[in-house]
Amino acid sequence: MPEKPEKAIVARDLRRIYRSSKGVFRKKHEIVEAVKGISFEVEFGELFGLLGPNGAGKTTTIKMLTTLLTPTSGAAKVLGFDVAKDVIDIRRRIGIIFGGERGLYYRVSGRENLRYFADLYGVPVSKRDKRITDLLDLVGLSDRADTKVEGYSRGMKQRLHIAKGLINDPDVIFMDEPTIGLDPEAARETRAMIKGLVEKGKTILLTTHYMFEADELCSRIAVISNGKIVALDSPSELKKFVKDITVIEVEAFGLANTDLDVLRRQADVTNVSAELEGERQIVRIQTPRGSEFIPTVTKLLSRAKIVDIRTKEPTLEDAYLKLVA
Amino acid sequence: MSQLHFFADPQWIIPNVIAPFIFTAVALMFFQNVSGSLALYAVLGGGMMGMWGNTLYGAGFALGFDRWNGTLEYVLATPSRLVWIVAGRSASSAVLGLVNAIAILCIAVFGYRAELGIANPVLFLLALVLTLASLSSLGVLFSSSFLLTRSASVMTNGLEMPIYVASGSMFPIALLPFWSHPFSWSLGPTWGIEAMRYAAYGDLDLGFWIDILVVFASTIIYLAIGFWLFGIVERKVRRDATLVEY
Repeated sequence: MPEKPEKAIVARDLRRIYRSSKGVFRKKHEIVEAVKGISFEVEFGELFGLLGPNGAGKTTTIKMLTTLLTPTSGAAKVLGFDVAKDVIDIRRRIGIIFGGERGLYYRVSGRENLRYFADLYGVPVSKRDKRITDLLDLVGLSDRADTKVEGYSRGMKQRLHIAKGLINDPDVIFMDEPTIGLDPEAARETRAMIKGLVEKGKTILLTTHYMFEADELCSRIAVISNGKIVALDSPSELKKFVKDITVIEVEAFGLANTDLDVLRRQADVTNVSAELEGERQIVRIQTPRGSEFIPTVTKLLSRAKIVDIRTKEPTLEDAYLKLVA
Repeated sequence: MSQLHFFADPQWIIPNVIAPFIFTAVALMFFQNVSGSLALYAVLGGGMMGMWGNTLYGAGFALGFDRWNGTLEYVLATPSRLVWIVAGRSASSAVLGLVNAIAILCIAVFGYRAELGIANPVLFLLALVLTLASLSSLGVLFSSSFLLTRSASVMTNGLEMPIYVASGSMFPIALLPFWSHPFSWSLGPTWGIEAMRYAAYGDLDLGFWIDILVVFASTIIYLAIGFWLFGIVERKVRRDATLVEY
């Protein structure tokens, strides 16, 4: 390792362009700039979050930092090693945990999966089996360790992913949406596990879609939108972006997109987001006018059946929505 | 690990056991009134086909499977160089192919009463080991191209038959058109299978040792080119972001 670096991760003006082509005779070339010159630093022992919508460039950033993609320009160092040149040195010292169903050998057991990756990471045979047993205990898979992975639930597969990402006892762990698709209990267990890793001194770079997760886990968050970092601070500081704003939350049935468009066109509305919970719609309206704006909202949404309307303190999600809007 | 996964999926039996067995059985039926050299020719050819089929699986199909399964990124993200992983898979698959060859030999001897005498077992074994190494190195050479494509399994199938034919596993290369001979001669296994036949017949003159030398040299050359190509291809997939396409 080079002299003990000051930061665990350093990214400087990191860019990544994807080039693709379509057609055989008349090829059409397409260029997409997924990451547009981002810079940030992660301290040792920090849990740093990358937050952003789909296609913002989070996964591309992680893939550059984990040496799976070469940056088009800019530079990045992990534990003092250059991601473009010191590929093997970085791979030895990092762990990668991507979310999802893929990335495991289904026809063999969880223990065999871990054994294979332990060998690929060069874990000494004398330590290998004990480490696998410890990791299976940590992720709560000991009793199913010798069952074929194809029989695992989604949560169990995700826990095996986590064990796999820790098999080389990495100093820095990259997690790409580690709780995606998990039920609430499994997601809570995973978050507890992540907190435990930070307590053990691991550095973690995490991407997530879940605001409360980022709020609960991360000491600092970089909000990334359209390939650029639009804000970088602690969750509490990020919330200050919306300190002058009140959130009016409306629960309703029968809202149309046109109703939301009408709200968005109001001069006193800074952001409108909507989500569907069963047949019920929940609309969050950001406004600087506070509760005095409620009658206007009620009037504008008069075609829908409003079940409840209330004001709320802005959350990290509101800050995020303002930042990426 | 790759082999464990391989055996857990019963479809491997068709291309790697049943197909070579059928080819051998047909050849033995043709030659059932002929003993010695021709019967041995058929058995060696069938065994060779089993070994090459397995090697292609280890080198190519397994990479295609890793890409499809989402494990290729995780494997590439480890500090182990992919070329060594593929070389290991190729070699273990070729050795497993030997089991097919032994099964075919047993079927020929006990099922078809083929008379197979091996004049010099020690040199036969030498030729066999070198041929296995040659097959593995050929797998490494081809597999760099498997990393570039989403159609590794199609390429695997496409490479199966030409090597069977060109290496003289199915019938003597003398029967092939002259223009195809340079391709046959460029294949290490062609020389390997010829060396095995020389050792089996007891024709241990200069021809045998030339075959041994060529199969050894071609193995080194294939490996050198394979390692070089892998370096280029690994850099290319990191640059072009083609690893996750499936």
